[in-house]
Amino acid sequence: MSGSKPLADFLAEAAETAEALARGVAQLDQARGEEPDPGLLNAIFRSAHSLKGIAALFGQERIAHLAHAAEDLLDRLRLGQIGASDEVLNGLADALDVLQGLLEEASRDRASDALTERAQALRERLASLASAPETTEADPLDQLAMDPSLRAVLTEYEEHRLRRNVRQEVPLWKIRAAFDLNDFDQRLATLNQRLKGLGEVVSTLPSSEPGEGAGIAFDLLFGSRASRAELEAALKGLPTTLATIEIRAPGPAPASAVGRPSAPVAPVVPDALPPAVSAPLANLEPVPPAEPSLRSLTRTVRVDIERLDGLMNAVGELLLIKANVQRLAEAARQPGVQVLAKPWGQELFRESRLLERKLDELQQGILAARMVPLGQVFDKLARLVRRIAREGGKEIDFPVSGGEVELDKLIVEELSDPLMHILRNAIDHGIESPDRRSALSKPRRGRVSLKARQEGAHVLIEVADDGSGIDHARVKEVAVQRHLITPEQARELSPREVLNLIFLPGFSTARAVSELSGRGVGLDVVKNNIAYLSGIIDVDTARDRGTTFLLTLPLTLAIIRALVVSVSQRVYAVPLNSVLEITSVREEDIRTIERREVMTLRGQTLPLLRLGQLFRLPESRVARHFVVVVGLAQQRLGIMVDELAGQQDIVTKPLGGRLRHVPGISGATDLGNRRTVLVLDVAALVEEVLVPDTRARLPLKASLI
Amino acid sequence: MARSLGELLDEFFYRPDEDVGPLFEVGAAVEPVAQIPAEEAPEQYVAFALAGETYALPLGVLREVLRVPPITEVPRTDKALLGVMNLRGEVLPVYDIKSRLRLPLGGAGLASRAARVLVVKSDAGDAGLVVDAVNGVVRLKAAELEPPPPGLLSAERDCVVGLGRSGKGLFIVLDVDSALP
Repeated sequence: MSGSKPLADFLAEAAETAEALARGVAQLDQARGEEPDPGLLNAIFRSAHSLKGIAALFGQERIAHLAHAAEDLLDRLRLGQIGASDEVLNGLADALDVLQGLLEEASRDRASDALTERAQALRERLASLASAPETTEADPLDQLAMDPSLRAVLTEYEEHRLRRNVRQEVPLWKIRAAFDLNDFDQRLATLNQRLKGLGEVVSTLPSSEPGEGAGIAFDLLFGSRASRAELEAALKGLPTTLATIEIRAPGPAPASAVGRPSAPVAPVVPDALPPAVSAPLANLEPVPPAEPSLRSLTRTVRVDIERLDGLMNAVGELLLIKANVQRLAEAARQPGVQVLAKPWGQELFRESRLLERKLDELQQGILAARMVPLGQVFDKLARLVRRIAREGGKEIDFPVSGGEVELDKLIVEELSDPLMHILRNAIDHGIESPDRRSALSKPRRGRVSLKARQEGAHVLIEVADDGSGIDHARVKEVAVQRHLITPEQARELSPREVLNLIFLPGFSTARAVSELSGRGVGLDVVKNNIAYLSGIIDVDTARDRGTTFLLTLPLTLAIIRALVVSVSQRVYAVPLNSVLEITSVREEDIRTIERREVMTLRGQTLPLLRLGQLFRLPESRVARHFVVVVGLAQQRLGIMVDELAGQQDIVTKPLGGRLRHVPGISGATDLGNRRTVLVLDVAALVEEVLVPDTRARLPLKASLI
Repeated sequence: MARSLGELLDEFFYRPDEDVGPLFEVGAAVEPVAQIPAEEAPEQYVAFALAGETYALPLGVLREVLRVPPITEVPRTDKALLGVMNLRGEVLPVYDIKSRLRLPLGGAGLASRAARVLVVKSDAGDAGLVVDAVNGVVRLKAAELEPPPPGLLSAERDCVVGLGRSGKGLFIVLDVDSALP
């Protein structure tokens, strides 16, 4: 049942496991063409295994089956029976996409046939990848002069590691260690510790020849390129004997067959699956999966128990303060008892100070509990970037940094879709095809980077590509074609204003309609989403050098700092994260440009909005207006108010079901005196005042920046 | 000091819920339970005054009754919307339904001591209704409601369900969802 507790538990757990799996596969993918790290492969294998387990436990058969197929494939990979070829990695990446889709359907308690078929096809594909032909070369283990009884007890995985060492011509050693029964575990650990830096302990086996007396002996199979002298030095002081394991000359099988025993390595352009493998998918793949949202499936945040303990303590102390205040109240209410006003007031004041401190603690604690690392969404984006690049036949490096930066869970969730759009844009429109890049004497591999960093109360996220940049002429051409501006207006636009055009609804420069950007949703959606988060978006572009999108976001939305202003005796709150600065203007310094009021701020023209007029409030005569300069995306606007009443932390609440869409108002808050104060929706105001203008009356003579 | 400490503290510890109390006491006094005929259980309605007329809403839609709290006007909205109020952290719209009922506006209004806000449940979201006074709870039989006289009621009064009589009283019974703009 949707929303039921066990399902929510399953989703939270499964989503986390799937994320770990995705992280692992992404790491594997980054090391494409290299020998995969055995530790990493093991970790990925375990993730797939646990995903299978929990899915089966909760009766999610489709997920369990697919995870099982992935687990099988990973097992073969881990055992070196198949290589980490491109088609294997692509198969795993696709499996992750489908798993994500399946989880998403599970969260809505649905099971679409399309996805079931995709999952089924993918299972077959994974199975066929896993059943790649067995190696035909002679088993290198036969070359080892090793006691057959010893070899018989090795696990499949240990055999594989041994084989790998032989193939890589790493000398193998047998270390016989005899320890006293009392402390053999510690001494074995010491031994392992000493050997760790020198090579790989393939296996630790109880020796078939028991040690003397009460002792116990072990045979360690150790692969190391270190010299005998180095090893002897490392083993010094430990009761060990060192022996080499001879490697006999290989038999008729040529030593050059060292490579992967799998199918031929696929060409670097990644979308070419061998026909035999892709055939069952041929009629499924062209239908692009419905645009998957990267939002999490669960509304769960994992919180460190220590953080919760901190909150609990703060609440306990608040209760104490409440008891004190109540006592004070009772004292004052006693009829006939004269309370000394001064000490009573002092005590009340002390309690209120304490209350303030504790509330502050509680607030900080709750905010901290809501914070999650951006890496959660970055990991998903990395997977998406790989897929888009593959689909578009582009070669892309995708360096990511700043995944550890923490943001409010709500913001991280809301960010995933805008970032997805920007990345898609960068790959689809920004990065040129490898051939074109060569022609421009750029490296064939494009580069799209995703960086995050914290600066004060804001987080900056930068998406930069080294592609073609935004073509101003083309932007103008499209804007004219779409009747967003007239040709005359187009001629008068400044470069900044041209860039503003790409954020207009219905604007898309996609010459070719592709899955990603041809649907008329794009940067206008991005802009809206970022504006909803009280964020600002900036674009910087240079022809043939690339484009950079910079998002500036507040750390948290739950409790925001607001500027309290008043207009005609009405009080409003303006979220401080959208306020760029505050200035003032005298009535006589207000100019008009095409009947729009503007002022000059440091040599730049700033459009003004008389809030009282817009809200049809009774006019108030003031000689000097305060101007709250707000920024939204590329736009700047000065909101004129009568008075500033300071800053305050506020919790914005929606206006209620009946008043969902009041223009210019995003909600209400309580300033502590039981009076409700409306919170201005800066994004909507800027939109209302400036955007019709951009569309109908362009050009704005003034640069908006 | 103009006000006593006790008064200030009362305000500090103000709980809108406390205002609900008197309503039910009044209701009990208006309509003694003994009068109920056994055959049909009458429903309870909250009776209130608007511009001199007496209206009623089923008690089931009523969440609570408050003294008029501070109301914040919301720019560029329906005229009938007086603004929003804060009910223990919940922001609720407050309406004056007089214009909808074609009743003369004005009168004692919000400032009057008797004025109350009825917090009602409705599908589109709960809301507050400002009334001139709350008269109490009446028991009316739904089956005995008279249809609204056609000539008397204009189109704007389609939110009237019917007329109910109880003793000498005449109550105009409203449908809350239609009465709200």
